[in-house]
Amino acid sequence: MSTVDRRAFLARTAAVAAAAAAGASAIPGVAWAGGPARFGAGAYVRPRPEAFADPTELTLAEAAWMIKNGRLTPAELVEAYLTRLGAYEPVYQAFNTVLAEQARAAAKAAGKRRHTGPLHGVPLAIKDNYWTAGVRTTANSYLFQDFVPPYDATAVARLKANGAIVLGKTQMGPLATTRATTPDGRITTVNAWTPTIPGTDPGGSSTGTATSVAGRMATSGTGTQTGGSITAPSNAQNLTGLKPTMGRVSLAGIIPLSYTRDHPGPLARDAKDAAIMLTAMAGEDPADPRTQGLPRVPDLIEAATPVYAGRKVRARWSTRIGVLPGYADGTSATALARQAFLSTVDKIDGVRLVEVPLPDEWDLLTGGAFNNVRLPERSEPFMPYLRTDLRGFGVSVTGWLQGALLGANEFVTGQRAKLLLLERVLDQIFGRCDVVVQTGPVPFDILGLPEIGFPIGFTTADVPIGTILGGEPYAEDRLLSVVAAYQAVTDWHWRRPPNPPASAAVTALRSSPAAGDRGRLTAEDVTALMQ
Amino acid sequence: MAPTPPTDAELDVMIRARLASLGIDLDQLPPGTASDPATGAPGRDSVLASLRSFVRTSVTVIAAYQLPGADPALSQQPAPMLYPSISTEWRK
Repeated sequence: MSTVDRRAFLARTAAVAAAAAAGASAIPGVAWAGGPARFGAGAYVRPRPEAFADPTELTLAEAAWMIKNGRLTPAELVEAYLTRLGAYEPVYQAFNTVLAEQARAAAKAAGKRRHTGPLHGVPLAIKDNYWTAGVRTTANSYLFQDFVPPYDATAVARLKANGAIVLGKTQMGPLATTRATTPDGRITTVNAWTPTIPGTDPGGSSTGTATSVAGRMATSGTGTQTGGSITAPSNAQNLTGLKPTMGRVSLAGIIPLSYTRDHPGPLARDAKDAAIMLTAMAGEDPADPRTQGLPRVPDLIEAATPVYAGRKVRARWSTRIGVLPGYADGTSATALARQAFLSTVDKIDGVRLVEVPLPDEWDLLTGGAFNNVRLPERSEPFMPYLRTDLRGFGVSVTGWLQGALLGANEFVTGQRAKLLLLERVLDQIFGRCDVVVQTGPVPFDILGLPEIGFPIGFTTADVPIGTILGGEPYAEDRLLSVVAAYQAVTDWHWRRPPNPPASAAVTALRSSPAAGDRGRLTAEDVTALMQ
Repeated sequence: MAPTPPTDAELDVMIRARLASLGIDLDQLPPGTASDPATGAPGRDSVLASLRSFVRTSVTVIAAYQLPGADPALSQQPAPMLYPSISTEWRK
């Protein structure tokens, strides 16, 4: 055991012993205690003219520039968001908990403190499966409805160490399974682009974070992805969401869904903002061995900064984009947007499109049955609850029972198949390209490979259309560089949803807190849709 | 000769027995197909139907999968890998 590992082991042992001695439930792990990350000058971007007038319009990088240059105080930024929350949160229902007074106090303190970096005084939305010290953390489940963590998840602690302010905890699918609902399936959060149409998919399970960032009720936010829960809501709500490689961001202090596939990451307004967030969140953590012994976190800020040759954007690194069969086929709005996306990136100097095949047995090894290999990972840690409180799982219970049914033989076969699939992906796809388009998030979620979701257009009904690029292990910088170049020549990511109509706000205020008339997912729906 | 696929009734017995062996009693859920109005938890008959489908469409498919290799008992199959992306670092 190395010195560092032994120290971490002893610290955890001491923490558990202390909790047990105090008569409390033993909670493993200890709070992360580190300093701020290093950011380059590229993390600060002079705002667009139209953003000067409204702090909630600022990207994270723009807000960072304003705060660093004394043009905006953290208190003003927080207050601007709280004003929007007051006006529109009854419609959006993006938050479980709004920490208004704590955020005001933190902003006031940040205004008096030495500047710590681009996140200094910036309010964030935190998904409600991230532990937050002293603040209820429910994962939208009856099982955790009264859980108040003793310390922050490492990712939250890192964001706060970099100066960020937790504005609130966001709505999510119960236990991170579906779009955000109450534990009994009642729809809460709407897509910020269609606030009067609850049936429009807002993406899940990081729904509230997506709606809060898209609806300009937070500068940026955190999500977790097990089966598309960062990229899907990002695509649905015109955001840039980055699911990093497994291990890049610590899972310590995050309520688990499937431990080999849960990936914490940011939902942001563009590639630069995602890079700032991930720079703060990423890194080794003594409390999570999956984060140790990995390649260093590259300069994500530089990667997400567009490169120009004269006035023309070019690729930071010569990049072959792999195009899977069928990706842009057809005449649907999505197909047309994908065709336009490919045409646009193909014109960027240094980018080349290459056709890549689906690896052998792709449909089988990434399909329903092998995707279900993840399910014992959710049942096993929840056995005490399954024995005593099945109804406490609400509409989500079936997936946990499925996990308990899958035998060890099948689980081991599934783990063997993962390595086989990875080797085929590395050989048959990444042998020919550097990044690859995705037709769905699940294959790379199975493998723990990085993905970035970003906007590429809109339907005729003004609903966002996004797409996903996947990368090789620890190649988040390459993904960011491609999206940054694409965003330098397009404006989809600058578009914001209009404010909800005043009548919608009034109606929402008069309705019940549960807003039951927004529709409800049944247990059967959840089984079919769950991440 | 392949065994006869189990009937619904046989699967129900297997599912209940497997869960019971883990200490899980499906009778915690409401009887029949109606969900619990308070929590949305499904009725036990609905859950059993869903679990039967899961066994037939997931468990059997995974169990039947033959990894590459002429003789599975003798071949060197891919190692089980919980974290395939992380493994690329120590497999270089």
